[in-house]
Amino acid sequence: MIMTRKDKLFFISLLPLSSSLLAILILSIATIALKSLDSLQIFGFNLLTSSIWNPEKGIYGLLAPLIGSVITSILAVFTALVLSLPLSIIIVEYLRGIVKNIVSSIVELMGGMPTIIYAVWASQYLVPFLKEFLMEPLHNTFKYIPLFSCRPITGFSIFATGLSIGISIIPYVTTIILEAYQSIPLAYREACYGIGATRYESIKIMLSLARPAIIAALILGFARSLGETTIAAVTVGNSMYLSSCLFAPGYTVSALIASQFANAYLYPYAESVLYASILFVVLISVALSFYGSSIIIRWRSKIVV
Amino acid sequence: MYSWRKIREKLFICIIILLSLLAIAPIIHLVIVVSINGIAIFVKAGTSFFTGLPPTPLSEEIGGIAPSIIGTLLMTMISLSITITLAVFAAILTTEFPKNSISVAIDAIAKSLASIPTIAVSMIVYTLVVVPMKGFSALAGSVALTIIALPYAYTYFSMVLRSVPAIYREAAFSVAMSRWSAVIRVLIPIARKGIAVGVLMTMARIMGETAALLFTAGRFRNKVSFSPTEPADAIPLLIFDYILSPYDIWHQVAWGATALLLLAYIAIFFAVKLIVKEVKL
Amino acid sequence: MFAVEMNNVNVYLGDRQILKEVTLKVHYNTVFVIMGPSGSGKTTLLRVINRLIDTTEGARVVGSIRVLGFDVMNYDPYELRKHIGMVFQVPNPFPHLTIYENVAIAAKINGVVKNKKELNDVVRWALEKAMLWDEVKDRLHEYPHQLSGGQRQRLCLARALAMKPKLLLLDEPTANIDPVNARKLENAIVSLKDEVTVVMVTHSPYQAARVADYVAVLYDGMVVEQGSAQQLFLRPSTDIAQKLLRGEM
Repeated sequence: MIMTRKDKLFFISLLPLSSSLLAILILSIATIALKSLDSLQIFGFNLLTSSIWNPEKGIYGLLAPLIGSVITSILAVFTALVLSLPLSIIIVEYLRGIVKNIVSSIVELMGGMPTIIYAVWASQYLVPFLKEFLMEPLHNTFKYIPLFSCRPITGFSIFATGLSIGISIIPYVTTIILEAYQSIPLAYREACYGIGATRYESIKIMLSLARPAIIAALILGFARSLGETTIAAVTVGNSMYLSSCLFAPGYTVSALIASQFANAYLYPYAESVLYASILFVVLISVALSFYGSSIIIRWRSKIVV
Repeated sequence: MYSWRKIREKLFICIIILLSLLAIAPIIHLVIVVSINGIAIFVKAGTSFFTGLPPTPLSEEIGGIAPSIIGTLLMTMISLSITITLAVFAAILTTEFPKNSISVAIDAIAKSLASIPTIAVSMIVYTLVVVPMKGFSALAGSVALTIIALPYAYTYFSMVLRSVPAIYREAAFSVAMSRWSAVIRVLIPIARKGIAVGVLMTMARIMGETAALLFTAGRFRNKVSFSPTEPADAIPLLIFDYILSPYDIWHQVAWGATALLLLAYIAIFFAVKLIVKEVKL
Repeated sequence: MFAVEMNNVNVYLGDRQILKEVTLKVHYNTVFVIMGPSGSGKTTLLRVINRLIDTTEGARVVGSIRVLGFDVMNYDPYELRKHIGMVFQVPNPFPHLTIYENVAIAAKINGVVKNKKELNDVVRWALEKAMLWDEVKDRLHEYPHQLSGGQRQRLCLARALAMKPKLLLLDEPTANIDPVNARKLENAIVSLKDEVTVVMVTHSPYQAARVADYVAVLYDGMVVEQGSAQQLFLRPSTDIAQKLLRGEM
């Protein structure tokens, strides 16, 4: 491209407002990093490995919320996988015309829905439902498995949070899978029918072709679930007690911050500790987002004929 | 005589239909339940729900959520104006200079910003705006909302602008338009429907955001405030606080507010659908 | 003085060389046709004249180009383009403007008119010259997508003319048009000679024969032959030109 003086002036006129994005990013990262420094220096690795939380005495351990965030996100991704994949397949392979339009619109509607609305519905309806029809039966039947060994009292638990977040990310994961599926060139799909495969067999082949993209969708969904706040805050039970049972109340990093940050100035180093906890989440989240996106980009370039 | 292949096929379809229905069931249940609960509250409280103040925990009257409504409107408007302006400028830059390294950088920056959890943004704005200002404010809330909405709006606008065929830019140059003329008289008008959709979608995003406001707006709901430098409240914030509280009257208010938010969101959703239907290339 | 004068012009797109040592001269008020097979660089040559080549990634232009007396590579392209109109291979009228507005905007931007009445006159003049007026005079407030391909192309010609340019560049203007409209366009082009200089690209020797005063044959980025149309069509001296005229290339 040949840039004349006028082109350069045009470019420069656009620069100030556009660089606001960079300024915001730098400010954000700097703030998180600098504010976490204190607690990291003083508490070091103990922050990550201890689960004792006593702000009044100045003792902090983030193990419970960190594990809580990871487990809930894994549960969420699993839920989303089980429900999004069939939904995507139905939309692409079996639905046509106005029904397809309606279902796609429902997915779109779900996708932009404010998470607070999900949170309210989850805490008032989904969690009691899960408690009665899923958690208690599982507990009664599989008491001997550590995962299900505790009796769900209110239903607010790691398990409930995982499933609630999972439902909320269904549209996100579905959209990624749909886009990937639809970018598979028609040639491949026609090849399947050309060798006499049934619908089911051809779908299996399409899915294996799309596998990297589906994995990427799950990675991106995981990153998204890590940062989810409102749903977690109302369904996780807000307990620092670390247990191996899924049905016990617990904490996620975002739920912890939501309930503790406002009062953090009362306790020594509490603010810094909370900043450190979100630092871990941000690092993992950003890394996974870029990783997931790069998988999709590489897959796309390989798949297009 | 059915072959195993055919049975497998039928079984497969049954399973995925079942799971798909299960995937959609929550949203349908949600909309129904929120609507029913919400309408009950609207009927019980009347129009004062939109004009009155929130009730005390032990009161019998539902009162209203006027401060939250005003706060949401105020912060949405402030944040939306800043976000759209910044996002459009950035999108113009990356569309007009696609191979420039700054454009590539902006794309990467937007993606990074988008992966920052919203609660982190709330913390950051608390540290950078609330503490120096020595208090919560609608302004701080708007700043937090802007940071969250920016990458989203930028990504959408840059997609919209990039989809305008290059032949129109060349036509603009061929009639001796300057760079800015080509952008204002040709690029943007051709993309106007996409831009309108982008604005609406960004507005929906901002309006429903909760975590970003937790430590920035201030949760001040005792009186209606139009001032950007005073603490404010927002509908999602009220819902969050009230649904977590143990008081039944506050739960009812929360349902009403949730229904209102859902209604606003669905209205925007339909508006977008209406605009998109009219697109004729 | 020549309307367009190129001396030893080389154009590179990345590693590839598109134009090689191109030298040609275009007289004022003539129709100069550039002929050649696909991929010979004809469009690039045209885009160098009004510096639209600037928008192509990795483009490099070396050599002397004078257009309307200006040294093109050292002159502000946005100023230069005020005197050069262009019609593209694929019609590209502005979809968001009405037929009237499409023509009017070219005149308004370049300060060709001072008031509404002059604007109306110019719009009408341009549409008449492009042989489109009769078909659209009652539909000036409709949009281009309601016109046929051929009409859209003539609208683009009218738009280019409304600038009152001294030079008109046409890139295979009838390539995507039906024969009837193509003829109309050709007639319009020939009738413009008194007011503008026309440089036109085509791959059809028949079209060239119909409209050209002068012809240059471009092959693989090089001008293999150039001269008056009469001379070229009656007595082509190079092998390539002969093949082209016989339709073998």
